[in-house]
Amino acid sequence: MNQPVHADESTTDPRVTYVDRAPVRVADDRANAMTVLTDDEGVQAPVKVDVRNLNFFYGDTRALKGISLAVAEKRVTALIGPSGCGKSTLIRIFNRIYAIYPKQRAEGEILLDGQNVLAPGYSINRLRTRVGMVFQKPVPFPMSIYDNVAYAIRHYERLSRIQMDERVEVALRSSALWDEVKDKLNRSALGLSGGQQQRLCIARAVALKPEVLLLDEPTSALDPISTAKIEQLIDDLKAQYSVLIVTHNMQQAARVSDFTGFMFLGELVEFGRTKDIFTKPVKKQTEDYITGRFG
Amino acid sequence: MSIVNVPGVSPQLTTDNDMRWRFRQARDLLAKVLAVAATAFGLFWLAWILWTTLSNGLPALKWSLFTQMTPPPGSDGGLLNAFAGSALMSGLAILLGAPIGILAGTFLSEYARHSRLGEVVRFVNDILLSAPSIIIGLFIYELIVRPMGHFSAMAGGVALSFIVLPVVVRTTDEMLQLVPGNMREAALALGIPQWKVVRQILYRAARSGITTGVLLALARISGETAPLLFTALNNQYWTAQLNQPMANVPVVIFQYAMSPYDFWHALAWAGAFVVTMFVLLLSILARGAFFKGVSS
Repeated sequence: MNQPVHADESTTDPRVTYVDRAPVRVADDRANAMTVLTDDEGVQAPVKVDVRNLNFFYGDTRALKGISLAVAEKRVTALIGPSGCGKSTLIRIFNRIYAIYPKQRAEGEILLDGQNVLAPGYSINRLRTRVGMVFQKPVPFPMSIYDNVAYAIRHYERLSRIQMDERVEVALRSSALWDEVKDKLNRSALGLSGGQQQRLCIARAVALKPEVLLLDEPTSALDPISTAKIEQLIDDLKAQYSVLIVTHNMQQAARVSDFTGFMFLGELVEFGRTKDIFTKPVKKQTEDYITGRFG
Repeated sequence: MSIVNVPGVSPQLTTDNDMRWRFRQARDLLAKVLAVAATAFGLFWLAWILWTTLSNGLPALKWSLFTQMTPPPGSDGGLLNAFAGSALMSGLAILLGAPIGILAGTFLSEYARHSRLGEVVRFVNDILLSAPSIIIGLFIYELIVRPMGHFSAMAGGVALSFIVLPVVVRTTDEMLQLVPGNMREAALALGIPQWKVVRQILYRAARSGITTGVLLALARISGETAPLLFTALNNQYWTAQLNQPMANVPVVIFQYAMSPYDFWHALAWAGAFVVTMFVLLLSILARGAFFKGVSS
């Protein structure tokens, strides 16, 4: 009944999609390009970012092998896998932040609303306003809390003082930090706690009103209480943003995400609805990993 | 048979360990004594130099030092023109050397960190850093003084700026490299162009370190004599003209210390004392700036 047909080693046709599961569209299959994903509640979500046959190289080393997956709009997609499996490498391609290092390169396509962001003509700075990113280690800029949020807005928009105050407040509210910092906006951001700094980084990213939010292990440097706050926040954020989160914490992926991809040794082993991945994984490797047999 | 029943430890072995332990203790003590002695040796001479400067310079310190010009033999005077000349030429050197140095350091750290070109430039800069200052003096002599036909304050300032330059390049490069890479990534991930990230984020993060470098460069040139002997030379009178020879403290100290007149000797000591205090003050300021930046 629920037995999915999947592209395991015995399947000859790679373009098989999962039945009754979030389908995994296969490389080089534009005709069958997936446009919707069905989430746990059976609601269909449009695809925001469509990754097709993505390969990545550190110099001559191939770190990602033919990755294809889709990020649903206004949903949370999690990438899990053991250390070194390539999940951070993958998320760093979405905003082309890898491009600041000369020996790294990506091949393949990442379609954001149908446009390939890896194409040479695609403006990298425009891409980064549409795709925001929060890193593993909170890195506030050496300026006030207010300026941390306002800094990037100033680069793009000319706002009056009042408009800017409002934008900063909205950003800080949406990152659940406003109540804690509203009386010390002019103090240095370096004085905040780690968890507050990370929420400030989220505020900084959402202040630009991006469409996609990349979170690269956003809680791995934080204590459990801060982690809980950020997880709650992620749940709130998906009302407005398409979120892609990398985490080494499987419980976190299970808690916050709608879709999950399991990566291993540079390959996307399995991708599907989070519930399916955690309760009835198709691949043996996935099952071994989520049951803690390796990783 | 055996009396001691501690597993795996024979009485014989314990004695061995004891011996070895004592031997190590002795070696440790020896190392410590040698290290302390070496430090004391270095400090001894420094203290002596400072004491000599202080004991000879302090009695010669008079208010007229800062109000009167350098005197001819036999009459009273001060070092006003020398102080002014030193300040002017050091200022010129910082004005020329610091901006170029900061930009070059930025190039090395942000645009050419791992490139072959960057490595070559860094290496060449280190050579310039340790170049004997008299060579720089001779170089500027050939480059500016000879074509002009006479010594000038401008040549002096340029010569000093060649000493400022590598110091500032080096510190800027190092201080920018100390800014964590993820701060660059975080700023670039907001879609901010690189030059803006450098200017608005990285300079801010490395500001105290870069300032420290400039202050140390200023301290370094405050006492430089050789490059000025070949460029600005000296001037017994007041001048603010950059194309004229100009008095400066190090050369005046050199000249007066070599003279047979006691009053000139006293002035030289006083000048040496003031320069030493100035350098000390700069070093303290630099440390203060640096640690303030690190802790905030």
